[in-house]
Amino acid sequence: MPEQSEGCQFSFDGRTIEAETGQTIAAALHNARQHVLSRSFKYHRPRGLFCMSGRCPNCLCTVNGEPNVRICMQTAEPNMRVESQNRWPSLRFDVLSVLDRLHRLMPVGFYYKMMHKPRFLWPMFEKVIRRIAGLGRIDRENGHQGRYDKLNMFTDVAVVGGGWVGLHAALEAADAGVSVTLIDDQPALGGHLRHDPDLAGENVADLLAKVMSHPKINVVDSAVVFGCYEQNYLAIQRGQRMIRLRAEQVVVATGGWDRPLVFENNDLPGNLLAGGAQRLMHLDRCSLDGTVVVVTDNAQGYRTALQLAKVGTNVAVIVEIHDTPSADAENISVLTGQTVVAARGRNHVSAAVIESVSGGSQQTIPCRWIVQAVGFTPSTSLLYQSGCTLKYDPQFDQQRVESYAAGTHSAGAVNGTHDLQACALEGRRAGWAAAAALKPAESSRDDQPAELTSALSPRAAGHYASSSPAKKKFVCLCEDVTEKDIYDAIDEGYANIETLKRYSTISMGPCQGKMCQATAIALCARKNGRTIAETGTTTARPPEQPLPLGVLVGRAVRFNLVRRSPMHSWHANAGASFMDAGAWKRPERYRNPDHEYHAVRNRVGLVDVSTLGKIELRGPDVVEFLEFVYPNRFAKLKTGRVRYGVICDEAGILLDDGTIARLEDERFFLTATTGNADAIDGWFRWWLTLKPQLDVQLTNVTSCYAAMNIAGPHSRDVLDKLCDADLTTAAMPYLAAQQFEVAGVKAIVLRIGFVGELGFEIHVPSQYGLHVWRAMMDAGKDYGIKPFGVEAQRRLRLDKKHILAGHDTDALTNPLEADLPWIVKLDKTDFIGRWSLERVKRRGPLNRLVGFRIEGNRVPDEAALVIHNGKLSGRVTSARYSPVAGAVVGLAWVPIEESSNGDTIQIRLDGQLLPAVVQDEPFYDPDGKRLKE
Amino acid sequence: MSFQINCPNCGRRPVGEFRFGGPVQVRPEPTADVETWTDYLYNRSNVRGVQREWWYHRSACKSWFLAARDTRTNTVLATQSFIAEEQAHAGAK
Repeated sequence: MPEQSEGCQFSFDGRTIEAETGQTIAAALHNARQHVLSRSFKYHRPRGLFCMSGRCPNCLCTVNGEPNVRICMQTAEPNMRVESQNRWPSLRFDVLSVLDRLHRLMPVGFYYKMMHKPRFLWPMFEKVIRRIAGLGRIDRENGHQGRYDKLNMFTDVAVVGGGWVGLHAALEAADAGVSVTLIDDQPALGGHLRHDPDLAGENVADLLAKVMSHPKINVVDSAVVFGCYEQNYLAIQRGQRMIRLRAEQVVVATGGWDRPLVFENNDLPGNLLAGGAQRLMHLDRCSLDGTVVVVTDNAQGYRTALQLAKVGTNVAVIVEIHDTPSADAENISVLTGQTVVAARGRNHVSAAVIESVSGGSQQTIPCRWIVQAVGFTPSTSLLYQSGCTLKYDPQFDQQRVESYAAGTHSAGAVNGTHDLQACALEGRRAGWAAAAALKPAESSRDDQPAELTSALSPRAAGHYASSSPAKKKFVCLCEDVTEKDIYDAIDEGYANIETLKRYSTISMGPCQGKMCQATAIALCARKNGRTIAETGTTTARPPEQPLPLGVLVGRAVRFNLVRRSPMHSWHANAGASFMDAGAWKRPERYRNPDHEYHAVRNRVGLVDVSTLGKIELRGPDVVEFLEFVYPNRFAKLKTGRVRYGVICDEAGILLDDGTIARLEDERFFLTATTGNADAIDGWFRWWLTLKPQLDVQLTNVTSCYAAMNIAGPHSRDVLDKLCDADLTTAAMPYLAAQQFEVAGVKAIVLRIGFVGELGFEIHVPSQYGLHVWRAMMDAGKDYGIKPFGVEAQRRLRLDKKHILAGHDTDALTNPLEADLPWIVKLDKTDFIGRWSLERVKRRGPLNRLVGFRIEGNRVPDEAALVIHNGKLSGRVTSARYSPVAGAVVGLAWVPIEESSNGDTIQIRLDGQLLPAVVQDEPFYDPDGKRLKE
Repeated sequence: MSFQINCPNCGRRPVGEFRFGGPVQVRPEPTADVETWTDYLYNRSNVRGVQREWWYHRSACKSWFLAARDTRTNTVLATQSFIAEEQAHAGAK
């Protein structure tokens, strides 16, 4: 037979450690007699293995540069570099362990009371505390090479927990014919059965085989369900992957974990939870060297003690808290009515101090290990998150479900059931109920477990903490919160469990209350003289287990939507720098916006406007629809004409502007701004839904058409080369809308002028966009054509005082105040926003969007303030230097009193006030001669 | 928010595919008084319970439809296209 374990080597703080194949790092360190694994958060006390199941904070180390790894769950791999955390200079000699002696200076909430006076010292305190706080360090130089992703899954029934109960539930549901996903946080199924040989029987192998081979069961191991969201949407972490599982029904069979006992120095290495001792023994094949003392109040402690003795461990005594033994101890001696009140030792347990429960004389038993089995905390977080209500049941000494949320079931130890047979029954019943909820007619069940309630075996009433006045009795291992800290906090007035948690920080560390919350509640109840049920719990929120941010992010960066125009590659080759307009990439400039500007004013320029929203409306009732949606009048819009319009909402607020072209009698072509295209599409569809009597067909053709605008005195000359149509003003006047071929491609051509020059907007099917663009650039060579970007376009339109919806307007702008009163036809009977706009007209505008001019070349920022008599009175929305005006020009919102032509307003720039003159007339070509030639 | 909505056109989809359109309100007559219009424009009942509201399937079929949602639990009890709702009302008369 070949060697069973090859094993591997890894380093721990520079020391080489041997590990057997498949062994966890923690187990390997245990074998190498490295029992101190970390230093605690506040007092830097030595800490070692405790829960061996990834729940307590004691074994957190940095592995290969990744901080806060639970080494009790991490398999050792060759050449792993494991380093302890939160200590300096070394784990054995940590300078900050002096804080343990200074604990009187650090009572609960000390940072709220100290260190804020004198104020000037706070920055220093803050730096020091920041350095000391935290556990692991992030390696900023090497970073973290992680590949995170997400997976979406769907299932009929999700069973959370693959132990004895979960296996039964999954099988029952799958046999009923529904799809089942069984999720467990261990690398193999079985739960407690894996490390408690007395519980398992020959039936387990059979059960496991059935589950693993069932065609309707999908097993997901090594996965933690960390959140349950609306409608049973489960969030699961599996390594560096997040699985989002939509389940119709959820069965929670998550069991729970041993509860620690609170006594003096209960955090010393050498203290172990019974489950931890069992895992060390049976999963990692490790032994406990030296004497073991077991303190317990239930059968599990006895079982653990006997299992330890069976493999040769020296179990000195079982300290039984009850007056009579809870189970048969065989050859091990039992001390009844006693409890552990203290552990002694420096870096490891060297003795346990036992005392009678009712007080009295103490005895000290030398030992190296104290194994605790005094209670059980159910893993109820997912039940709370899904909306179930739970209540503390004193008979079971734990929270139990009072009412279930829709689609949620639970079974097993999480319900307080521990007897194996009863658990199997409960599991099967939950699985059946989950399936029946989905397939009611087909399921029938005769052997309803009526005896179920009698089969439930409650554990003994809880023992949480030995009563002694000692100081170092740790309740919260993560945050170093002692029993005294809790009592002090309550004395200070934080008596409610929620405020107690926040003030003492209990349950706010890596374990998130798994080790400490139940005890904290019991102590809070005891101190307040109330019952545990009355004390309540703090709200359970996801994530149930800490997880790296990368898991939540996945590969999000790669999945950001980017939209590109058909001419994008041309722009990139021409040296364009791109800007984001929503998801779109638009050329902001090619090289020099000044040159682009001059080209348009003096020769000809071409701009890509493919990103504009485009909507086609067809049908006999389109005019009626437009009359209702726009404040404009459309009844007289002739075929072959285009018009500028604004869309308002019911409050009269300007939503968007654009053009409306009537291409044929019953065919209209509308444009909207790039950013609002989707919103306007939705807006139109809603009103069409409300008016089914209108015969109107709407199609969003934004992506179907590429569009470009050719503008400048020579634009007609260039376009003429590429088409046969008559482009003269007689045949195609300003605001004409026609269809003809451009460069051999059927096009919609609108003669409009956003930039104030003779120009044509050409829409072609997007697959021909690049062809037509190239043809235009080619045809324009003789005229010195230049492509221009968004920046040049902004300057050009500003010369004409043309507004940009969403830039010069906001959520309070109505068209009457935005200098577009001519658009609002209040004599129409009804349109969206009519009522509001009439009121505005009656009241009179309060503000106005005006053009202004500043001599010189200092350009105010957009959103620069307009100041009047030392008070804020308005703001600048657009501003640029204008070569044609020979001054700085812009648009600003000002109060109506300062908005008359010729008024001076003061604009703040760099702390100074610049005088600007209000101007009604456009800064360039006020009569529009260039547009209409 | 992670609930699902049953689009009358497309079936059950995650809520992120939709845009919320507000509770159902009746648009006043153009000649209605200022109280009625102000209420319509600016006041909302903020129902704690089942609310009738609009949803828009922006990522797929782009249809507007009605839903009855319990605002306490985000359970969508029923969805219905507007036309079907109108016909049901007409039928009931």
